[in-house]
Amino acid sequence: MILSEREEEWMTAYQNGDEDALERIYTLLKQPIYSFIFRCTRDEQLSIDIVQDTFVKLQRYKHHYNPKHGKLKSYLFQTAYRLMITKLNRRKKWRSLLPFLAPLQQSEELPHSDRMTIREAVARLPDIQRAVVLLFYYHDMPQEEIAQILGIPIGTVKSRLHAAIKKLKKELEGGYNESGSL
Amino acid sequence: MSQDPFKQDRHLRTKLDEYHVDVPDFPMKPSRWIRFINLLASPAKDPLDPLISTPSGLILLKIAPIIGTAVVTLIQILMFL
Repeated sequence: MILSEREEEWMTAYQNGDEDALERIYTLLKQPIYSFIFRCTRDEQLSIDIVQDTFVKLQRYKHHYNPKHGKLKSYLFQTAYRLMITKLNRRKKWRSLLPFLAPLQQSEELPHSDRMTIREAVARLPDIQRAVVLLFYYHDMPQEEIAQILGIPIGTVKSRLHAAIKKLKKELEGGYNESGSL
Repeated sequence: MSQDPFKQDRHLRTKLDEYHVDVPDFPMKPSRWIRFINLLASPAKDPLDPLISTPSGLILLKIAPIIGTAVVTLIQILMFL
């Protein structure tokens, strides 16, 4: 709670012309935004590009942020998520037009094995469910904030979370039984 | 807000906790040149892959340049004779 208040303070300072405040915000929020995008896409370069673009957007539209409408962390996660969707859609379009020029997606190369690792299980979740699980579990976000970031109703967040947990349990079942029998 | 649905499943929580992400060191400002280099260096699908995987495709791949050269030579002969 104190940490998020500090983020808002730094953002206000940055809006008032303190350039060092932006550097502090970047140091604090670069890691969570990168982790979220990386767990969504499993693409290191794409995740770096999105984090950088998120901060470019923050600098360009710094006065668009209003602390009354939500936390800075949620605002940046929302920007990063939207950028990710746009980039992935653009990549999909390129893949259909020029299949040999579009970069390979790592999720396509997942090996089929009886014992599935958590990375593979998360990668196999449908995109819409994956984002909800990642924000809820790894970033401790309340369901209201997740709904705001993803632009979906809170009921949808609940149902996607429930479906994702069920799917994850099912996917990891093989590994669980195997480790139990050893 | 509803309760944490992960609380009931210790095994799933243990598994999810195993998923660590190493964050590389990168600057806040993007470099267009580095992005362009990364785009060129990113692995892409081989357009000749379906041809290489079958024996007939492989033969076609070997014969195609010979046929092409023969056609171009023939055109040149017909044009200059």
